[in-house]
Amino acid sequence: MRYLWWLVRCQPWRVLRGSLIGTAWMIGLSARPYLIARAVDDGLRERDTQALALWVAAIVVAGVALSYLGIMRHRTMTFIREDAKARSAEVLLRHLSRIGAVLPRRVGAGEVSTIGGSDIDWTAQVLTLTGPGVGAVVAYGVIAVVLWSISPMLALCVLVGVPVVGLIVGPLLRRLEQVESVYRKQQGALTARSGDIVAGLRVLAGVGGRDLFARRYASRSQELRAEGYRVGAVNSWIDAATVAIPGLFLAAVVWLTARMAVTGDVTIGELVAVYGYVATLIVPVWFLLEGSHQLIRGRVAARRIADLLNVTPDDVGGPGRRWPGAVPEARRPDALAAPVGPADLHDPVTGLTVRAGQLTGVAADDPAAAVALADRLGRYVASEVTWAGVPLREVALDEVRARILVADHDSYLFAGTLRDILGAGADDDERISAALRTASAQDVVDALPAGLDTPIDARARTLSGGQRQRLRLARALSSEPEVLILVDPTSAVDAHTEARIAERLRAARAGRTTVVIATSPLLLGRADLVALLSAGRITATGSHADLLDDDPAYRYLVARGSEEAYR
Amino acid sequence: MSRLPVADRRTVRRALRDMISRHRRAVGVVLALHSAAAVTGLAPPWLLGTIVDRVTAGAGVATVDRLALAIAGCVLVSALLSRYAQYAGHRFGERAVAELREEFVSRTLGLPVSVVERAGSGDLATRSSVDVSTVGTTVRDVVPTIVIATVQLTLLFGAVFLLHPLLGLAALAGLPSIVAVTRWYLRRASSAYLTEGAAAAELTETLTTTAEGARTVEALRLAEDRIKHGTTRVTTVWRARRATLALRTVFFSVVEASYPLPVAMVLLVGGYLFSRDMVSLGAVVAAALYLQQAIDPMDRLLQWTEQAQRGFASYARLLGVGMVPPEPPGTTASSRGERLVVRGARFSYSDGPDVLHGIDLEVQPGERLAVVGPSGAGKSTLARLLAGIDAPRHGVVSIGGCPVTDLDPAERRRRIALVTQEHHVFIGSVRDNLSFAAPDASDEQMRAALLTVGAEWFAELPDDLDTQLGDGARQLGAAEAQQLALARLVLADPHTLILDEATAALDPSTARRTERALAAVLVGRTVIAIAHRLNTAHDADRVAVLADGRITEIGSHDELVAAGGAYAALWHSWHTRVDER
Repeated sequence: MRYLWWLVRCQPWRVLRGSLIGTAWMIGLSARPYLIARAVDDGLRERDTQALALWVAAIVVAGVALSYLGIMRHRTMTFIREDAKARSAEVLLRHLSRIGAVLPRRVGAGEVSTIGGSDIDWTAQVLTLTGPGVGAVVAYGVIAVVLWSISPMLALCVLVGVPVVGLIVGPLLRRLEQVESVYRKQQGALTARSGDIVAGLRVLAGVGGRDLFARRYASRSQELRAEGYRVGAVNSWIDAATVAIPGLFLAAVVWLTARMAVTGDVTIGELVAVYGYVATLIVPVWFLLEGSHQLIRGRVAARRIADLLNVTPDDVGGPGRRWPGAVPEARRPDALAAPVGPADLHDPVTGLTVRAGQLTGVAADDPAAAVALADRLGRYVASEVTWAGVPLREVALDEVRARILVADHDSYLFAGTLRDILGAGADDDERISAALRTASAQDVVDALPAGLDTPIDARARTLSGGQRQRLRLARALSSEPEVLILVDPTSAVDAHTEARIAERLRAARAGRTTVVIATSPLLLGRADLVALLSAGRITATGSHADLLDDDPAYRYLVARGSEEAYR
Repeated sequence: MSRLPVADRRTVRRALRDMISRHRRAVGVVLALHSAAAVTGLAPPWLLGTIVDRVTAGAGVATVDRLALAIAGCVLVSALLSRYAQYAGHRFGERAVAELREEFVSRTLGLPVSVVERAGSGDLATRSSVDVSTVGTTVRDVVPTIVIATVQLTLLFGAVFLLHPLLGLAALAGLPSIVAVTRWYLRRASSAYLTEGAAAAELTETLTTTAEGARTVEALRLAEDRIKHGTTRVTTVWRARRATLALRTVFFSVVEASYPLPVAMVLLVGGYLFSRDMVSLGAVVAAALYLQQAIDPMDRLLQWTEQAQRGFASYARLLGVGMVPPEPPGTTASSRGERLVVRGARFSYSDGPDVLHGIDLEVQPGERLAVVGPSGAGKSTLARLLAGIDAPRHGVVSIGGCPVTDLDPAERRRRIALVTQEHHVFIGSVRDNLSFAAPDASDEQMRAALLTVGAEWFAELPDDLDTQLGDGARQLGAAEAQQLALARLVLADPHTLILDEATAALDPSTARRTERALAAVLVGRTVIAIAHRLNTAHDADRVAVLADGRITEIGSHDELVAAGGAYAALWHSWHTRVDER
């Protein structure tokens, strides 16, 4: 609710204009029945051509004015809603961008997409209440006064009757919506199936089974059709009721008024006008019913947005992040100073020491342990890692992120041109092409129609696993971090290319601290120093060649079980 | 990339005519019922007109009571008729939509894989989701609304004509401006709304991907970048919405300003006629009320035309899929022998340069051949030729003496299975995911197949073979999904397996597990493995080195190492120390 109120407060003048125009428009709706009534009474019945012409002209002018009011109302309300949507999207975007690594663990991507796709809209929809909602209340009052001047008894019937009809029909419509939503959910599931078939076409082409899938889909489609029949049977009754109930009420009002016309209590013109008023009154009553429903849904949606905005980053120890963090961390007085130049990193949990300026290889027998090690070294969790003796978790996080880069093997590729993707850390082409060369990924770029300017979709789904991996590596390299920690950088690449990458990586990172966590002999063979991480501890260190000679566990791990042939 | 075709207007119209004539009776019933409902719906204003006349003539309360009762009766009858009309229409819509989507899916399933790949699966995915549901909504909701509105309008205007032809002519006063502005609007609306929809979808995608890639955003310090990126998206959405708003502003103001014109004209003309006693006062009042009543269906009709237009466009895209010639049925049902022979095979993708330059290769039944080479050498293309997905531009690929592309596709897939990095898990139960490979397999056989490939996770599933996978249900990890795919192979039991870097997309330890599972599947089959790991090559009977679309070296591992070529060099860098011992 506070969030909704904030959205309103952001645009006070627009909201005020919306409610004024909304009111004028709603009242204007009742002008036409009145004018037609006067045209009938004063012009037609009296056979007064001049009066008739006058009132007819008034009808046309009123029509134009009403259409102007209507469109201005629509425009203002659209702007109000769009402003709210844009504001929500921006707030969410800022929050999502800054919250960091913890997000995927706390919130599912599906939830974010629901919030982005529909909750923002629902929240904005509530603001409609500020215009036509206010207008509806006023219009209702005005019609009440006019009706009262015709006949108090009639006014009472109509003023009570219309809301009652609304209250009867409203829930029916809601029920209609519910039945429909069940159907739509099933329809969505069926759509998902056809999408599933499209996505799996290649599998089906490889193994067969197309007929079976066609039959399966057809039988589900028939089920949906049967469900559709049921929905149709119920809905058509409800629909008929929503038309019949107001119709019957209208008939009753006409009957009452006509009797009064017989006795002379109302004029013929007023009889026609009452008929029109009742029809007009339905509009504001509808708005109010619809509005209350929107308010309920909008509040739920706004709550979800607020909940997402309340997600805070993980505690990674030390002068960690407070959210919202107004004080830049580098300037926090309690942060310890980081080493000025390149320095050794030490992880007490495994006993690994990463020497500054060297290429360290880590062969891990358990991939989970390898990922945990990378998380500690990059401070994605609170740990005892030291950097030149300084506890890493006491250093300002901004500085850690700026100087130490952990490149996960499944790090995310965002949509954008290839240059955008690779230029994340660098913006000159030379740096990018050097990185591409090192990652042996030039052929990926050359194969694309517009080279570096080719747009790539999120996760680079159009590229193969090996191509994606090389792009990730190029991206990490192009940001030229002081310490680069690569996790399985070449697992999806063929041996020829891997050998090339290993050689170039060493040259490109010469003199800079680099950690390669992998089991490939081609990569480890180029490292200055290799450490074997076995059962959570570093059990051996040395050059690749020495470890191959001296450590059977190492030999087994990097030769991947093809060892037997060489005994 | 060659896009999938889209049907032209004539084809779409013909398809629509066919659909209507197939359901001739249903359409007739629907129209008749709606007309009847609309006619009874016209009675109340007419009866009100009568009341006006009678009261003016000095009729008593009894007359009014009778007429009012008649109004109520008409409302009830009209509601009842429209209920049945709607129900019949709904059923017709459901049937038509079901036919349409089933047809679409069966066409899609019949598409040759090469066509799908060249068009990109994105296009087909959009057609299967967005277009199918757009057409569905159009047929179920939009068409009925338009039909009802059209019937009502026809009758309302017809009724005014009946009251007096001159009144009827006067009633058409607002029409020219409405028709003109609608044409103007429709020419621009669809593309504007599509742009708006695409912009909104992009914004949602930006939010979603930012959330998915949050760790990367933090690691590479992309926050400002993402915010900038998203802000431009927000601006694009805002601009797209403004564009559609501008269209609506023109459209609705002209349309709404046109609504009072018929009423005004009818009153003027009616006043003239009434003054000459050519019509009754009641008739004029009734005509005015009819026209007031026409505003609602008119509004609905205009609001939905744009949607109907979009439905038409979607339908054209669905029909387009049917225009692709389906995969040709083979000319030969079976072949003798399992020997794979490639002779002088050349291949190029759609008029591009040749990717393969004359490949000669023979694979004996039961042999294991590894194909290695740098990326871009044409390894995957060779795999596709061997599996019969593409036919060579020149030369021949045959199995047992019969060209693979001549085999009946279903038969071919049963004999030669292609396993790629893609391991799609279909929505449905574990059984659904296995049974299509071998429709006759028993539950026991399925469990055994899963055991063979080392899918230990299967034992922990809550509902055994009936456990639901995908789409909100249990999600399988990459290795599990690949094992499921391998179990499928065990069941399909092909004599020849082509593995195109089947484990490349997996992380190394998962890949190792999967490779162990794979070993169980390979037993007793001809295997052609495109490999990026040298140990796979080492284990094979023979190794073929592919470079620039040619086989440069072929022979057993030991022969190639002894020959001292490119393969040997690579092998040495892989196993430096081990070899020296």
